[in-house]
Order: sequence, then C-alpha cells, then structure tokens
Amino acid sequence: MAIKLSGGKIYDPAHQMDGVQQDLFIVGEKIYHALPEHEKVTQTYDLKGCIVMAGAIDLHTHIGGGKVNIARIMMLEDQHQHPQEGDHICRTGCGHIVPSTFSAGYRYAEMGYTACFEPAVLPVNARQAHMEMADTPMVDKGGYVLLGNDDFLLNMIQQGVEQSTINDYVAWILHASQCIGVKVVNPGGIHAFKFNQRRLDIDEKSPANITPREIIKKLSRAVHELGVPHPLHVHASNLGIPGNFKTTLATMSAADGLPIHLTHIQFHSYGAEGDYNFSSAACEIAEAINSTPNVTADVGQIMFGQTITTSGDTMMQYFGHEHAHPKKWTVMDIECEAGCGVIPFKYRDKSFVNALQWAIGLEIFLQVEDPWRVFLTTDHPNGAPFTSYPHLIKLLMNRSFRNDAFSIIHDEAQKMSNLASMEREYSLYEIAIMTRAAPAKILGLSDHGHLGEGASANITIYTQQEDVEQMFAKPAMVFKNGQLIVKEGQIVDIVHGITHVIKPEYNEDIEKPLKDYFDNYQTISLPNFKISDDEMEECIGSRITVHPCVRN
Amino acid sequence: MQFTNVTCPHCGLLCDDLSVEVNEGLVKLTNPTNNSCASAFEDACIDGELPSAQINGKNVSLDAAIERASEILKNSSQPLINGMIADVQACRAAIALTEKIGAVMDHANSNTMRPNIAVMQRMGKVKTTLSEARNRADNVIIFGSQALDRFPRLISRVLQPEKSLGSEQTLHKTITIFDANNCETSEQIKQHKGLNYHQFDAVSLDEIIQAFHGIIQTTPELSDDTDDMTRTLVELKNTLLNKNYTVLIWNTGLLDAIAAEQTIQTLTLIIKTLMKEIRCVGMPLGGSKGEITANQVITWQSGVPLTTAFMSGVPIHDPVTHNAKSMLANREADAMLWLSTYRSTDTPPNTDIPTIVIGHANMQCNDAAVFIPVGVPGIDTRGLACRTDSVATLPLKKIRDINLPNASDIIEKITQQI
Repeated sequence: MAIKLSGGKIYDPAHQMDGVQQDLFIVGEKIYHALPEHEKVTQTYDLKGCIVMAGAIDLHTHIGGGKVNIARIMMLEDQHQHPQEGDHICRTGCGHIVPSTFSAGYRYAEMGYTACFEPAVLPVNARQAHMEMADTPMVDKGGYVLLGNDDFLLNMIQQGVEQSTINDYVAWILHASQCIGVKVVNPGGIHAFKFNQRRLDIDEKSPANITPREIIKKLSRAVHELGVPHPLHVHASNLGIPGNFKTTLATMSAADGLPIHLTHIQFHSYGAEGDYNFSSAACEIAEAINSTPNVTADVGQIMFGQTITTSGDTMMQYFGHEHAHPKKWTVMDIECEAGCGVIPFKYRDKSFVNALQWAIGLEIFLQVEDPWRVFLTTDHPNGAPFTSYPHLIKLLMNRSFRNDAFSIIHDEAQKMSNLASMEREYSLYEIAIMTRAAPAKILGLSDHGHLGEGASANITIYTQQEDVEQMFAKPAMVFKNGQLIVKEGQIVDIVHGITHVIKPEYNEDIEKPLKDYFDNYQTISLPNFKISDDEMEECIGSRITVHPCVRN
Repeated sequence: MQFTNVTCPHCGLLCDDLSVEVNEGLVKLTNPTNNSCASAFEDACIDGELPSAQINGKNVSLDAAIERASEILKNSSQPLINGMIADVQACRAAIALTEKIGAVMDHANSNTMRPNIAVMQRMGKVKTTLSEARNRADNVIIFGSQALDRFPRLISRVLQPEKSLGSEQTLHKTITIFDANNCETSEQIKQHKGLNYHQFDAVSLDEIIQAFHGIIQTTPELSDDTDDMTRTLVELKNTLLNKNYTVLIWNTGLLDAIAAEQTIQTLTLIIKTLMKEIRCVGMPLGGSKGEITANQVITWQSGVPLTTAFMSGVPIHDPVTHNAKSMLANREADAMLWLSTYRSTDTPPNTDIPTIVIGHANMQCNDAAVFIPVGVPGIDTRGLACRTDSVATLPLKKIRDINLPNASDIIEKITQQI
C-alpha cells in the first residue's frame, strides 16, 4: 500500500532540492524516493504545478499552559466573536487570538504545520501544558522548560556549585517535565520582581546576588554539555525597553561562544534615538547575528490589530501594563519557580512605536543573511496570532506588497526605518528553510522538516499561485505521518500528534538535595512533581518520542 | 497496604503528603491525623458488596443503566450536565458529551466561581501560588476565619512552615485574620500561635473589605471616637506598607453571595493600587469540589470558562441565563446528568426532571432515574486534579482495586450510544 506523489516541485533544503521535479512515495508513515519492492501504489496524486514541502514547524508558539487559559478567559469577546462549529470529525471551539486547543490544532494543520513547540513550560505547570497540547490535535508537540528564575538553581549558582551539578539538575528537570529544550525568561528578573525590583540589567546583581549573565552562562553551558540539541532558548532582559539592543548584544556574548537562541528578538532590538527616544536597532542586531555563528533567533514579528501578550516575564509585563488594551492585566508569582503576565494589546499602524516595531521585525528578517539562523514566528499570540503567518510570508517574499504596507504606517516611523530600501525578497527555498528544515535541525528532530528517504511523511503540498499569502494559507494537501489530513485547506481526517522529548543522562545523586528542597520548602512532594512516561500516555493523553542527545 | 505521597482531592489545597492505609474496601488516613481531613477517606470506605447501578432505585446491570442514561439524554430537548465534581479525564469525557448533545455545562460550585471569573475578565488579577506564599510572604491577611476550616492545612502547610527560603520574617509571618459579626470563629484560631484575630462589628466580610479599600485610598484621621475596625485597618495599612510581600486570602463562599463580585473587584483594586509601590498579591482559595479542574479543562477545550452553553452548536460562556440553578428553577432543562465523584454527600439538587447520577459509590440516590456508582479519583482511579491556585496539577493515585468503574469510561459509553 503506497501513495505516489507524482511530479511535484520539491523544496527540501535539507537535501538542497530547490524546486526539483521528483516523485515521492508514502508507505506507512515514511517517505520513500523509490517504490519499495513488494509495495503497490494504491493511490496517485498528480502534483504537476504543485509545490511540495515538508510539514511546517513552529518552534515558538504559546499553545498550552496556565497563561494561555488566563488569556482565553480575559479575551472572552474575541472567543465569542470567533465561534467554530464542530462536525462529524472536528470538535467545536472558539477564539482567533487564543483559540481553544482543538481549534488551534485544526488551524495549524490547515496551514500545513505538523509540529508546534510551546516555549514556556513551567515545571509545576507542566502537566497542564502537556494536557492542553495533548488536546491540540493534528500536530506533534513539545515544550521548553522554564529555568533561570527558580530558587533552586539561583541558590546553586550563588553558592558556586560545580557546573556538573547544575547539569544534573537541568537534566533532571527535563525528565521531570517531559520537555525537549530549556528556556530562560528575563534571567533572574522574574525572581527579582518578587522582591519588588522593577528592572534588572544583564550585569546587575539580583536579590539572589547573581547577575543575569551568570545565569545564561551556566544554563547555556549545561544545555551544551548535556547534549540537548536545542540551544538555550533565551528571552533576554529588558524586553520592550528603548535602547535594549545593547542588553541583547550582551546576552549573545554571555553564552561564551556556545549555542544560544534569542527568541522574539524583535522585542529586543530597540534603540533610543530620535524625537520619540525610540528607534530601530535591527541593523546592529542583524549584524551581530551575521557575525556570530553560535547565535540563532526567531523574530516575534508583530502584526497590526488586537492580540494578547502572555509571558513569563512578570517584571516587564508589569512595566507595560499601562499600555493594556483593553485596560486589564494579570500578573502572577509562581511557586518559587517563575511567574506569568497576561496583558491584552492592540498594535496600531498609526502608533509610532507599534509601526516601528512592525518595521523592525521585517528589517531583521531581511538583514539576517542566513535563513538557517532566523525563524519565522510572531511569538503567538504576543506579536500576532499564528494564523497571520501566510501574510508575513508574503511581506517577506514580495517587496512591492511590503512597500505598499510600509507606506501607510505612521509617517514618523517610516522616516526612522530603511525598510523601503531593502530589496531582498525571500525565495520559496528560503521560506522552506526557515519554516521546515532549520527548526527541525535546531530541535534535533532528525526525521522531520525534510523530505528525505525514511523521513516521517509530514508533507504539505501547495498549488502554485501568484499570491503566496493565499497559497500558504490554504495548502492543497497535508499529510501527517502518511495520512491525508487536509485537502484544499479543509480538515478531512483527525490525527493526534506525539510529544517530542529528550532525556539527557544525569547523576541521580541530584535527587538528594532536591528531595530536601521539596520536603522543606515546596507544597508538592518530589515523587509527585515528576511526570512519568506512562502518566504522559495514560493521564495526560499523549505518547512521547525520545530524541537522542549529542554529547559535546 | 500503606500508600505514601497520596494526594488528597477533598479541598483545593491538594496536599500530597498523605499516608493512607487500604484494606480491601476500607481506606484510612494514617498521616496526618490531627485534622478533619480523615472524614473524606472514611466516606470512601466500602464494607461488603459493591453498590449496584440503579434505574429508578432498582438494581440493574451496568449496561442497562448506561443504555437508559443514553436514552434519557437522547430524548431530551435541553439537557444539563451539572455537578462536574471530577478529575480531568472525567471532565474531558463530560465535555465531549455536552458538545455532542448540545447541553449546558455547569458546576456545583458555579456560584462561587462566577465572581472570580467575572472580575478576571473585567480587570485581570494579581495572584500567587501556595509555595510562593509559603516562602516569600511576610504578611498575610485572611478575610474569614472559616477559610481555615475549609482548607484545614493552610496554616500548617503554607502559612506557618517549619522552614522558609526567605528571611526570619517569611518564616514567622504576620498573619491577621478578620471576621464579621455573623462569622463563626474557626477552632483553628486557638490552635495556632501568633495569629492576630479580629472579629469586627461589621455585617459581613464584604463590609470589612470595602472599609479596607477606603483606608488604602485615604488614611482617615484617628480620634478617640474612631471605631475598632477603622483603627485596626489603619494599623494594618501602616504595617503592610513596611512589609516585603503581602498576601490577601479570601474564599468566595464566605462572602455575601450577591456582593461577592463587587467585593472581589475591590480586593483586586486594593492589590493593584498597592502594587504601584510594594508587592501585594491575592490568593483566593477554592476548588474543593474540583471546580478549578473542571474550569481549566473546559476553558482549554472549548475556549471559554464555565458556565458553558453548547445548544447553538458552539461554546458560549453564559453564567447569567444558563446557570444550572436558574435553568432548574425555570424548568429550562428537561434532563440532567449529575457528575459527582469525590464525596457521597454531594448529591444532585432536587428536581423533578429525569436525573442521571454518575456518583460516588456511597451516594444515596434513590430518586435518580439512573444511578451509576463509580470510583473515587485518587482512591479507585488514577487521574489529575488542579489546585486552588490554578497552577499546580497533582497526580491522583489508584490505591484501591475493588472494580469500581472510571467515571470517564462510563461517560464515554453513554456518549457512544447517543
């Protein structure tokens, strides 16, 4: 039983295939380039005039966990304005900005995405994050566990414990929370906010008597030495502050040349020049990325309109709460581990700051030379809902469309941006890199993000069109693990993805101080804190796949 | 057989340090012993035969009961799924059923959930979690001493810990507890050292909270005529401004039912006003009938919180016209499924519409059209439950095996037959 995809143009950057016409075969859940012996083609799809890519991967999207539910409750008007009826295969749901879990899965699949990664899994909230992701059908999932504001780690760093002990703790947390990567948000800043400190720069001592730089150093080294494929995922200090690009550059250097991923870097690329004391530092940031091969970044592009910002960064969310639209905001301190801030926000093209934010994101996309090191995100829902990706792709691929959009934003913002002069137009091949091949590579998903022999048959097929926004919004077909799930942008079958995790080796002696910590200070016991593999499947509702670590 | 690190789902604190002894159908809390937590385990004891499924009070097979339940729901023009005192898995199953039959879903504690949700929708919130309060707080204000009875280990596990990550001040927190003149004083006030307890001449906790808000906004001049409440609250304000981390604790069920939403809005305003200068957070207590769990699951699955109406084919949050209480009073529902798995005493509200009860095995439900006894989550079935702070999700263990079915399996079977 084989499916033949006949005559499509293959865009598979992992194998340097740039629009090459070639047949593909799907047998079971895998891709073949030639029909295996003893297999018969039972179905052929004629893909002449079609573009074939691997399923897309979103490496930074807030789709699960307590903050998303807070956002859903706070965005009731949007939820009710976007009801989604169910049918014989799809469940009902609602919401455009923060959709219900089922709806989120359907919308991603309809755009040809087959894997999504939640970047802020609080260890204590990991069960809920995984349950929400388990109830997000169609796509594979994974999470990055949040460290760097937890008292246990900060105390270890403050006491000067050996790097190997920190490594053991990081590995233990990855096991306990069933995650695939490690994220740090405003290192030390969320903790400092609990002591009523309202700002913390990268070389400033926090109430824990350590600096954010030290936290990044220790964590990036731990991630590297454990062989976690995804570099430390960093939401840097001073998000949203004019002039913060200097902090961002310092954050890059804090990793001491080890791999580091700067997330939603648009929010961290601001200068403080001009009449408004707010300017673009996209050029400085892009140059730094271009010249620093250990650095990767996702952009966190904003789009104009209503959204809601959900973040672990209580310090900077509180700082921004006066800009809430509508005027409501939530801030939570969480379990000596982390925090969360949820603030609705409306980005307006006639606001100088918002207009320039929009331009800065695009400037970064267009100035970072290597598409393997810059990723297409809106930091859903913080910059915009993920459903705006096709529009974003068109902005990157079509200069005249981009310049038309640029010409109607705030006049002063236009004067402060050199976007209109940028000639670059992303190619389909480059889009395939930044939405498929590169995220799979940086997450260590060896059989995802490409169309090579033996890869998971996650395949998205587009009918080639002049208007790429239309094209990317509505694929002709989407296969998930070999199963046709979307046809002409409509869901035709339901699948449940798996959860990608890693389980680095560690010295179990770390459980001794951890047990003392849990017994003495926490309100959950250590055995109940850990999520077992069978709990993932039986109670949380998702099977896991463990990916190998690469010991460095 | 002894089980340790057992999670107790009988109040929103979800303490998970319990030791429980199981001997066939008997379950006994062996540690801790010095509080009221044992009764919930006594309630789960089954000595002798397992209770049978029933139709109209007569014993029937499980299959017959499931079939009858499906018929009732299928023939109903406006069903109501109510109670929702259950773990995550049963909530998931109940939501799928609600959606399929276009029912309305509400919770047994929806009256106390609604004010918190409404204020969150309108203003947002500033909150903390149990361990954060335990280690960070140096100042705690509790509105209503009965909160200590409803959350029996709040003081011993959270507010007066043996150790703290913070300073001496966080280890020895200043704890102030207010009651109004209609409040019954908790026995725990005498049992713990160092609590500052005040019972004011006020008609309700709501009145105390409003008075406190006034004082936060403007400190009145004190004179010989100043009443005790004003004087104490002014002192409290002065204390609070010199503390590092203040936690305000309330339980909506202790507030005036009509005023609660306004009162919680006021509490949120107090916190947000104080936040401009100092750290101050709320820690509302709830979830003792699993309402935090049910609300979390429906919010992520449907996109909106409880109360949720699916009759138009899409989820609508509508606590005003479609709450269970008014639907029953106005005869707007013609069949009800009551899901209640934690305690035998959480029986369905009186109604003359056909009622299907998926309930605690020791529940007495002779009036129900269908009664299906199921296992207690955390004793008979493995599962997950969400804590009062809406952040921590705790695992519930299966510690007894006497062949009581999972509520989620029963609901799925009913759903399949519709």
